[in-house]
Amino acid sequence: MDPKEILKLEYTALNIRRNILRLIRAGESGHVGGALSSVEIVTALYFNLLNIDPGNPKWPQRDRFVLSAGHKCLVLYAALAERGFFDKSVLDTYGALDSRIPGHPNMHKLPGVETNTGALGHGLSIAGGMAIGLRLDRSPAKVYVLMGDGELAEGSNWEAASAAAMHKLDNLVVFVDRNRLQISGPTLEVMSYEPLDERWRSFGWRVRIIDGHDLELIISTVNETPFEKGKPSVIIADTIKSKGLSFAEGKVSYHYWKANPGEMEQAEHDLNNIEKQLKAKMERFGL
Amino acid sequence: MINELKDPRKIFGEAVIEASETNPNIVVLSADSSSGSGLGDFKKKFPDRHFEFGIMEQGVTGIACGLATTGKIPVFAAIAPFVTARNFEMFRNDLGYMNQNVKVVGRCAGLTYDQLGSTHHSIDDVAIIRTIPGVTIINPGDPVTIKKAVHAMIDHVGPCYMKIGSPKMPVLYEEEVDFNLGKGIVIKDGHDVTLIGTGTVLSKAVAAAKLLEDEGISVRLIDIHTIKPLDRELILSAARETGRIVTVEEHFTTGGLGSAVAEICSQECPVQMKMIGIGDYYASNGPYEELLGKYGLQPDLIKETVIKFIKNK
Ligand SMILES: Cc1ncc(C[n+]2csc(CCOP(=O)(O)OP(=O)(O)O)c2C)c(N)n1
Ligand SMILES: [Mg+2]
Repeated sequence: MDPKEILKLEYTALNIRRNILRLIRAGESGHVGGALSSVEIVTALYFNLLNIDPGNPKWPQRDRFVLSAGHKCLVLYAALAERGFFDKSVLDTYGALDSRIPGHPNMHKLPGVETNTGALGHGLSIAGGMAIGLRLDRSPAKVYVLMGDGELAEGSNWEAASAAAMHKLDNLVVFVDRNRLQISGPTLEVMSYEPLDERWRSFGWRVRIIDGHDLELIISTVNETPFEKGKPSVIIADTIKSKGLSFAEGKVSYHYWKANPGEMEQAEHDLNNIEKQLKAKMERFGL
Repeated sequence: MINELKDPRKIFGEAVIEASETNPNIVVLSADSSSGSGLGDFKKKFPDRHFEFGIMEQGVTGIACGLATTGKIPVFAAIAPFVTARNFEMFRNDLGYMNQNVKVVGRCAGLTYDQLGSTHHSIDDVAIIRTIPGVTIINPGDPVTIKKAVHAMIDHVGPCYMKIGSPKMPVLYEEEVDFNLGKGIVIKDGHDVTLIGTGTVLSKAVAAAKLLEDEGISVRLIDIHTIKPLDRELILSAARETGRIVTVEEHFTTGGLGSAVAEICSQECPVQMKMIGIGDYYASNGPYEELLGKYGLQPDLIKETVIKFIKNK
């Protein structure tokens, strides 16, 4: 990929992280860890991969994005706002009575939201139905799903995984955000589904494991889907929970963050540092 | 101390530890949910009696059943909708139909997961679990009765569902208050109208009753902490003696406390009733106290509803 394009996407990812902070500033707290670990995945989708039209969010031929781990909604709101689905001022209503952006997404409140998730383990089945429906319509559209690694313990996911393979849904692409943490601790200690790749493969899927913060790799990997004709694809994205916040990265206690002013200041400082690095990179490219 | 604010999940967890010190059969099951249920200290204190399963509420309900068949007393606490609605059939067949001694606790119930929206609100749990024969449903309204309810629930043999909220709640009772499963508590006698409250909004009903007294209305105030089995005698005498009943619950008016009271009164002593709760729609999202206001569950709004109800009769 053109390095300029990638740099642009890295800037977008930074803006999405800034939007997430803006949401937390408004709501004073939120599920920040799993939102920040998915920023690159969601950025690649909304700013490169998804065939969507913010001006026509219900366009029947659009690609679908199903946020199965609904508690990651901060990253979805941040990306939809950045992509122009609604005015960024909506982000400032996070936490307010009757806000259009609740703590889990509601498709009836906000354009661009495809599903009402929040209870874990629903997204993959819904996405499977979408994939069958689109195929019936001979649509080229794809269905993308974002799941948490802790979420995989819900048995419903494995029903859906079997169904997707049985029905040869090669228009279905799943991301597992493998940040290796859930609420009570590391997934390896709470309820391990490792080795993840072998599990998915044994369910009839084709699997890739990638660095989930590498925008170029995310895009090139998705562009290779379906990894095999007639098989659903899963991308296991190795990530760092709370990525971008120095004090919170990889820490289980930031699954849900009640931001105190000191931490908020540090968070802004951390994002400013990322911006500095990006600027230096731009200069190196002579941009 | 009366009116002191206490954390319901902390009180719940401490009571489970207290009961477990003398009862070795108690085991705690977690679906990535213990820490948020006030049971983090239980895990530290009794690591061999705490079992973590990750996010699989349906599976854990079955595991609880199996453990109970071996004489254990499983306590399974998690976010309320995920241990009632999600696993409903496991609850009905494995705990209800098999009549197993399992204690399911839904926390952050009602609207207390305020801004997290409808997937996390639990305003149908009483309605659905009430349809399962033999399940005791406990909805205590203050820290003192939460603690007593835990002990009563453990002592009772049979499947139980208990619900608690999450914001700190005021102490309404003295430590000595008599708490018996299936028996309501008459907080205050009166003759113009009966106000029945339950759970997280009991304190709102208590405050509303005071406001009504200030207006010269004599209110009989009842705490129904056990919604099933319901205290039939207490409700029928209130119906007979006050002629009007208003129920107050942080739940759909479909199928909850109000419905349970109406099922008895309509057949045995028909009276005028008013049910305050959430109507046939998905509740909105926002700060907890504001949401309660939106659905008429703040004391001044309860007062107005009661006054209008009495005048219209
Ligand atoms: C059915 C259900 N059970 C429990 C929860 C509560 N819950 C919200 S997030 C979460 C942990 C999710 O962990 P993971 O899937 O790894 O997400 P991430 O690490 O990306 O935040 C839990 C248990 C829920 N939302 N839905
Ligand atoms: Mg995780």
